[in-house]
Amino acid sequence: MPCSLWPPVNKEEYKGVWVYLEREGSRLKDVGLELLGKARDLAQKLGGAEVGGVIVAGTEEMAREAVYHGADKVVIIDNPDLKVYTPAEYAEAIAKVVGKYKPEIFLIGATKRGRELAAYIANTLTTGITADCTALEIDPKTCDLLQIRPTFGGTQLATIRTPQRRPQMASVRPGVFPKPPRDTSRTGQIIVEKVEIAKRRTRLVSIEKRLEKDVADLPPVESADVVIAGGRGLGSVEGFKLLIDLAKLLGGTVGASLMAVRAGWAPHTRQIGQTGKTIRPKLYIAVGISGAIQHLMGIMETKTIIAINPDPHAPIMENADYAVVGDYKQILPLLIEEIKRLKS
Amino acid sequence: MKIVALTKAAVPLSSAIRIDPKTGTLVREGVPLTSNAWDRDAVEFALKLKDKYGGEVIALSMAPPSGIPALESLIGMGVDRAILASDRVFAGADTWATAHVLAKTIEKYVPDYDLVVAGEETIDSTTAHIGAQTASWLGVPYVYYVYDAEIKGRTLIARRFLEDEGVDEVFEVEMPAVISVLKGSQVPREVRLSRKLNAREYIQIVSNKELGLEPDCVGLRGSPTVVAGMAPATYPPRKKVVIQGEPAEVVKKLVEILKQEGVL
Ligand SMILES: Cc1cc2nc3c(=O)[nH]c(=O)nc-3n(C[C@H](O)[C@H](O)[C@H](O)COP(=O)(O)OP(=O)(O)OC[C@H]3O[C@@H](n4cnc5c(N)ncnc54)[C@H](O)[C@@H]3O)c2cc1C
Ligand SMILES: Nc1ncnc2c1ncn2[C@@H]1O[C@H](COP(=O)(O)O)[C@@H](O)[C@H]1O
Repeated sequence: MPCSLWPPVNKEEYKGVWVYLEREGSRLKDVGLELLGKARDLAQKLGGAEVGGVIVAGTEEMAREAVYHGADKVVIIDNPDLKVYTPAEYAEAIAKVVGKYKPEIFLIGATKRGRELAAYIANTLTTGITADCTALEIDPKTCDLLQIRPTFGGTQLATIRTPQRRPQMASVRPGVFPKPPRDTSRTGQIIVEKVEIAKRRTRLVSIEKRLEKDVADLPPVESADVVIAGGRGLGSVEGFKLLIDLAKLLGGTVGASLMAVRAGWAPHTRQIGQTGKTIRPKLYIAVGISGAIQHLMGIMETKTIIAINPDPHAPIMENADYAVVGDYKQILPLLIEEIKRLKS
Repeated sequence: MKIVALTKAAVPLSSAIRIDPKTGTLVREGVPLTSNAWDRDAVEFALKLKDKYGGEVIALSMAPPSGIPALESLIGMGVDRAILASDRVFAGADTWATAHVLAKTIEKYVPDYDLVVAGEETIDSTTAHIGAQTASWLGVPYVYYVYDAEIKGRTLIARRFLEDEGVDEVFEVEMPAVISVLKGSQVPREVRLSRKLNAREYIQIVSNKELGLEPDCVGLRGSPTVVAGMAPATYPPRKKVVIQGEPAEVVKKLVEILKQEGVL
């Protein structure tokens, strides 16, 4: 017997693949557009289902942008009380629209705000949700959504289903799926929905951009093609400065191991690994990092890994494409000099 | 102020996580479960509020009995008492079914709570679901990533940080409410042995006999999501080319590689 708290679901009524389109100010965040691309792919596998998008307090221009990126239908939630983001109220309004339009799949970008909203929306709809999926497939037999996510410290991939409930929900981190091309010849339907919410119980008092003290004016680790990361083996913050120089020359950024963060050489936002960031750069250069499993988990999907370490048996050397045996203090200054020479 | 701190018994951050090379699963044997590292931030946050405004901090876990030592050390940190929701029928729960048990335990055993604090996420499942789901079950407002708060009457003034936008936001939230505490934002206080010694006295274990939840709505059976398969994650094989020698030679090879990779 299914749980009696689960209202009966008639799966036939649930159609289409929908996406929550998060705003940042007056534009849509990329992750929503990336998910529209994935939604198109899933919709096609479902035999040409409709792709939908939901924007809270958005404009028609934003909705059109979503259409250009793959949406057939976009619902703009129109409620003057929802101009400013507050979690419970946004989640309630989104759940109402999803409950009304009944998509069979609903995807959310796992930004900080997205992660805050996702599980509340799922609970309101009495359905399940899988966090941080790295792949989404359609089971050819049942047409269920297969929600694939790394687990047990990234060593295993779990495939999760929501067999009895609808919609099937999943969150996906930014950058996991490619952003589809912008096609201005695409057309779609834009619907403005007035959505009422219960009494407001959260109010935004202030919002301010933090001027974070960072090691350098370099891009975040998630968005760079080249990441040069330092560990305890650097021995000092001076070592980190070499990495910054190299990163600037290669148009990349710097990252750090947990130990380097603990030493205070880089902020936590630059930590790579299980309790830091998972990244997929084209090139990763690990300097003075031993390559503990928790660290490796964050770089498994990197295209090319170079390690610089005097210890040929450090685990990072076994997990590198190019294992450079040596002291970074001898290698990096020469390398930086040589690159400067080549560039001038 | 009555504050419930949600804490999960997990593999400790300080001990090395070991993976069974054959099965690829986490080796749990011989690894004592302690509170999820980020939940100690939540407990510290709750204790600070108690220091300032008075009241009581109650730790709540859903776990098998092996979760007791984790609660004992939280009592050692200064938590007033703890509740362990533990029953065979709770096993295999997904986040919906876990939050269900946590919320019903709160409603039954701490009906006059003012605030529920959760950790930002667990280090073993990292979903960040439970806080929001518990708020939904309880029907109260919530805010994530809080690192500082003040209380004025029935209002919690919560300051939080959104790392991806680099933005600080301050919210006024009507209590009762749920918050999650920004990971790494607190310095959890020391465990006092004198308190931990007889901590067991302060731990109440409740089973589903007391909670009376429908067995179809908890544990594996009450989980909307189902794990359909588990496979070792495969990652691109590495070339493992070893480069050594005089620094000048090494640099020459590195420059070649950088050109090949298209970054030079
Ligand atoms: C639950 C859990 C979660 C964790 N999460 C993370 C995480 O997210 N990210 C993370 O990084 N770690 C994480 N860790 C910690 C991880 O296990 C390691 O302790 C950590 O990654 C080691 O950091 P390191 O490689 O900088 O230091 P070390 O292991 O001390 O390695 C230093 C390396 O530098 C080399 N070296 C020394 N001198 C030089 C030189 N002159 N030139 C070049 N190399 C040199 C040494 O040979 C050595 O290999 C976690 C641990 C646990 C238990
Ligand atoms: N079994 C549990 N018992 C008590 N609290 C939990 C449990 N699982 C998760 N939590 C709480 O919910 C937070 C988020 O967990 P998660 O959704 O697993 O990432 C944790 O930091 C805890 O505060």
